[in-house]
Amino acid sequence: MKHSIYLLLSATLLIVGCGTTSKLNKAQAYKGMYEEKPVSVLIMPPINRSTNVDAKEYFHTTLNVPILNAGYYVIPPFLSMEILKRESAYDSELFIEKPDLKIFNKIFGADIILFTKINKWDKSSLASRVTVEVEYILKSTHTGEILYSRNGTISYNTSVSTGGGFLLNLAASAINTAATKYVDVAKAANSYIFTDLPKGKYSPMFGLDKAEMAGLKVIKVRLPK
Amino acid sequence: MKKYLYTIIVAFAFYSCSAPKGLYSFDKYQQASYNYLKKADEKSINEIMEQYQKIITKQKGTRKVTPPGMLADYGFFLIQRGNLKNGKESLNKEILLYPESKIFIDRILKLIEK
Repeated sequence: MKHSIYLLLSATLLIVGCGTTSKLNKAQAYKGMYEEKPVSVLIMPPINRSTNVDAKEYFHTTLNVPILNAGYYVIPPFLSMEILKRESAYDSELFIEKPDLKIFNKIFGADIILFTKINKWDKSSLASRVTVEVEYILKSTHTGEILYSRNGTISYNTSVSTGGGFLLNLAASAINTAATKYVDVAKAANSYIFTDLPKGKYSPMFGLDKAEMAGLKVIKVRLPK
Repeated sequence: MKKYLYTIIVAFAFYSCSAPKGLYSFDKYQQASYNYLKKADEKSINEIMEQYQKIITKQKGTRKVTPPGMLADYGFFLIQRGNLKNGKESLNKEILLYPESKIFIDRILKLIEK
């Protein structure tokens, strides 16, 4: 009897798989993405409303990798930061509510713009768990419409080793400063949030993921799973 | 026997959730980017330059191609360090590999000429 319960539980785990999904497939949930077929993404500097002053940089430097791995062209991050600063456009608050973003297409060739708002950065008293609440908004520069958005509350266990064997872990712990750990928090949150993004031009799955079920817009998750 | 069965099922459940190998490999690029953005000192610049070289020449991702933006940002760092010739070359390589970057990179090249 006990065995069959375990078996049933394991089977359920298998079916539930990677967590909750919405009742829509990707073609329904991200209609604009499939219609506009954006190629180029501009990452705007995150808006930091949390109490951690460095949160902006943790997130800013870890946003391009998951979007690149989803098959998009991400406008060179450091070069675009330089130009945004030159044009006095480094403050994302100036643009996040604007309906017309065509200027970013003209200057950067961007089809979509990513805005992020870090609302919360809480460190547990045990010091090993960090909980962040971040909003992600991808807007079209052609229509000003929101094509993909997420509100993620991600709780990350910073004490978990990232693998690589005993010796490597020893070395890692020696240099495991707070900054290294916190870059990992942002990395984990960003890569989790963009797993559901329809695949872009450079992915072999481009245009082939329409029937996949879309994830939820509001997410609560503990990482690593 | 049944025990093995559970193990296999559970392992499969986890396996199906784990991310497949990415289109590109980045090694310690994200950490180096953060360090540079925060400190912008000699050490952090060397660190990020090293990461770009690795990403450009030792690409282990499934596409086996340098990821977007890397040649351009690398070129930008080279130019900032006074290596104008190689920097411009790297920017032009970005356009060749990713034509959608032309609008932006041409703008940068014009700024450099000024």
